[in-house]
Amino acid sequence: MIGAVNQGKSVMETMLAVENGGANNASSSGGKFLTFTLGNEEYGVPVLKVREIIKVMDITQVPQVPDYVLGVINLRGKVIPVIDLRRKFGFPAMEHTERTCIIVVDVDLASMRVMMGVVVDSVQEVLNVTEAEIEETPEFGGRATTAYLLGLAKVKDSVKILLDLDCVLGSDGQLGTRA
Amino acid sequence: MADLTPGGSDNELGAFIADPELAGMFIADATDHLGTIEATILKLEKAPSDLKLVNDIFRPFHTVKGNAGVLGIASIEEFAHKIETLLDLARSGKHSIGPAEIDLVLKTVDLLKLIIEELPARAAGKPVTDTTARRLELMARVDELIAGATPPPSNKAGFTTPPPPSANGDIERPRATSVRDEQSTVKVDTKKLDNLVDMVGELVIAQAILAEDPAITGASDDRLTRRLAHVRRITSDLQRDTMAMRMVPIRQTFQKMARLARDLARKFEKPCSLSLTGEETELDRKVVEHLTDPLMHMVRNAIDHGIESLSERTAAGKPPMAELRLKAFHRAGFIVFEITDDGAGLDTERILAKGRSLGLVPNGVDLDPADVHQLIFQPGFSTASQVTELSGRGVGMDVVRRNIEALRGRIDIQTERGKGTTFAIQLPLTLAIVDGILLGVGADRFVIPTFAVQESFRPLPTQVQTMQGQVCMVQVRDRLYPLLHIGEVFNISGARKRISEGTVVLCHESGRVVALAVDELLGKQEVVIKSLGEMFKNIRGIAGGAILGDGRIGLILDTGGLLSLVGKTTSQVAA
Repeated sequence: MIGAVNQGKSVMETMLAVENGGANNASSSGGKFLTFTLGNEEYGVPVLKVREIIKVMDITQVPQVPDYVLGVINLRGKVIPVIDLRRKFGFPAMEHTERTCIIVVDVDLASMRVMMGVVVDSVQEVLNVTEAEIEETPEFGGRATTAYLLGLAKVKDSVKILLDLDCVLGSDGQLGTRA
Repeated sequence: MADLTPGGSDNELGAFIADPELAGMFIADATDHLGTIEATILKLEKAPSDLKLVNDIFRPFHTVKGNAGVLGIASIEEFAHKIETLLDLARSGKHSIGPAEIDLVLKTVDLLKLIIEELPARAAGKPVTDTTARRLELMARVDELIAGATPPPSNKAGFTTPPPPSANGDIERPRATSVRDEQSTVKVDTKKLDNLVDMVGELVIAQAILAEDPAITGASDDRLTRRLAHVRRITSDLQRDTMAMRMVPIRQTFQKMARLARDLARKFEKPCSLSLTGEETELDRKVVEHLTDPLMHMVRNAIDHGIESLSERTAAGKPPMAELRLKAFHRAGFIVFEITDDGAGLDTERILAKGRSLGLVPNGVDLDPADVHQLIFQPGFSTASQVTELSGRGVGMDVVRRNIEALRGRIDIQTERGKGTTFAIQLPLTLAIVDGILLGVGADRFVIPTFAVQESFRPLPTQVQTMQGQVCMVQVRDRLYPLLHIGEVFNISGARKRISEGTVVLCHESGRVVALAVDELLGKQEVVIKSLGEMFKNIRGIAGGAILGDGRIGLILDTGGLLSLVGKTTSQVAA
């Protein structure tokens, strides 16, 4: 088990772990998750959704989109949209630091699969989460949207919020329909 | 006949369904062969006694039949066999070819095309056209023709002398076929090909980025420079060759036009000859796909409306046989298609009058004849009633122009009253790369295709017109053009607020000219065009993304979309 929390893990090591993680299926019933931070919170996404992790690069702004859509980047010839998860979740904006990363993920829309980049504060590690460690999402009485969540994982003494990316980003798949 | 299901019994498709690859090859092959047969039979029509042409029709027919047999599609095999019997008699001189035989073979080709086209749907169990009756009818017709076998024509002069076009065909045809036979070809999935072209595009950009790297440009090492130059040469060769792989000759499309012209000439009772030039001209497969419809439209228009009726032609002292020419050739990095008729030409006066009555041309404004002719491309300029009134040239011409513009091309008209009309369509050679002009607005960069740009200049404050305090027009040599401030339309921070401190670019858009105010022109560049993807597909004013020389993305402006944004924002800019 790769489990142990290791803040000092380099991005490169994490990327290797991402590449090797595909063998083990991740779902709401446990599996491998890539964890990252936003502010003081820790999040996780299924490793199978993750294509790669890249440093923040030049982002070309696109007009007429919500502010959390930062624009598009050129990922080796593919043009992919980039979402700022901080702004999407309503965190205060923050300057990009050395640890800021773009996680490139596959998102399943209703009709197709698209690649998107998600900007996060820092990438942590690939974490093996067992079914027993995942808790049902509690009801928050409307204060936070729980539709985004696969569940909460209590690993060691920290809580990781496991995200359903299709749900977080899927509704943005056809942004252009807004005038 | 035992089977009465549409197109034949479906259990005959077992092998077809079991081997999708073989099935796909069969369809592609058969479609090719049927196209060849169609083209040859049109030549045969002009020279019915040319047994070599009959042979050229027989062979592909035989191949289609054989292939259908291999796949066990009995309905096609049986049908093709019957027609083949007739052709076999004809090529051995036991049956002569007349209009009835020509018609029969053409109908057979049409029906076979339909059956083959619908094979995949049939294999998937979807409903298809019931062709049984038509097949039986044509097969019965073969028996009739063979039974009433006309003796081969005697070699009397006047009967066998082929008309000039066929002599032409005799010279050209063998060369064309032999070239084709000698080239060995491989069929490749178009997706793989597109992928390859994409990757090579990336390679070219990556190479350019490397060459522009300061560590390289500053290097004084001769050997390094030489080696890099070598890489550049290989890359550009590779790019040229991969682009060439997507190129296909326009021949097949032209053959379709020949068939269309023949059928229409009969339908409208306007005898006409269509001459084709430049069938070997190659262009991007995607362009060819999108070009077929506009070309068909224009051939139809030329015969329906361009060419006068027989009586009118006689009255005007013209030869009864109208002349239609379809030409393809290269000109200055573009490919040009010309459709010329020797009909009545456009009636400038009446078009102008119509334009005024529709409110497209304000009263008291005079237009150049060329501008008047452009009116026929206006949407709504064409309705059924206007077609006859205006001697036509209206039906769907706005659609034709839109198709052409979607291919980043343009269309021009040359016409002379009583002498005829030429439509010239100019298209870029490929859709993957565009020659663009780089515009800077604030820190952002935009690309606009070079061909759309008419001119650029730094305006004087007096050239900029305001209306109700808002900047809206720019005046150039007595003409006013709508003005769009890109920085403002897209809300770009850091864009110049004063138009007279920046640059104005005049662009063509759907026959209109639009002025774009930007900060500066940054230069010219060939860029690889990319779609921005599903997420941004409805954003107005942006046509796509282009990967620039430094690997960053520049947005390609869509002037048509920009126009729809005019007046949506409150202007903060000044002259």
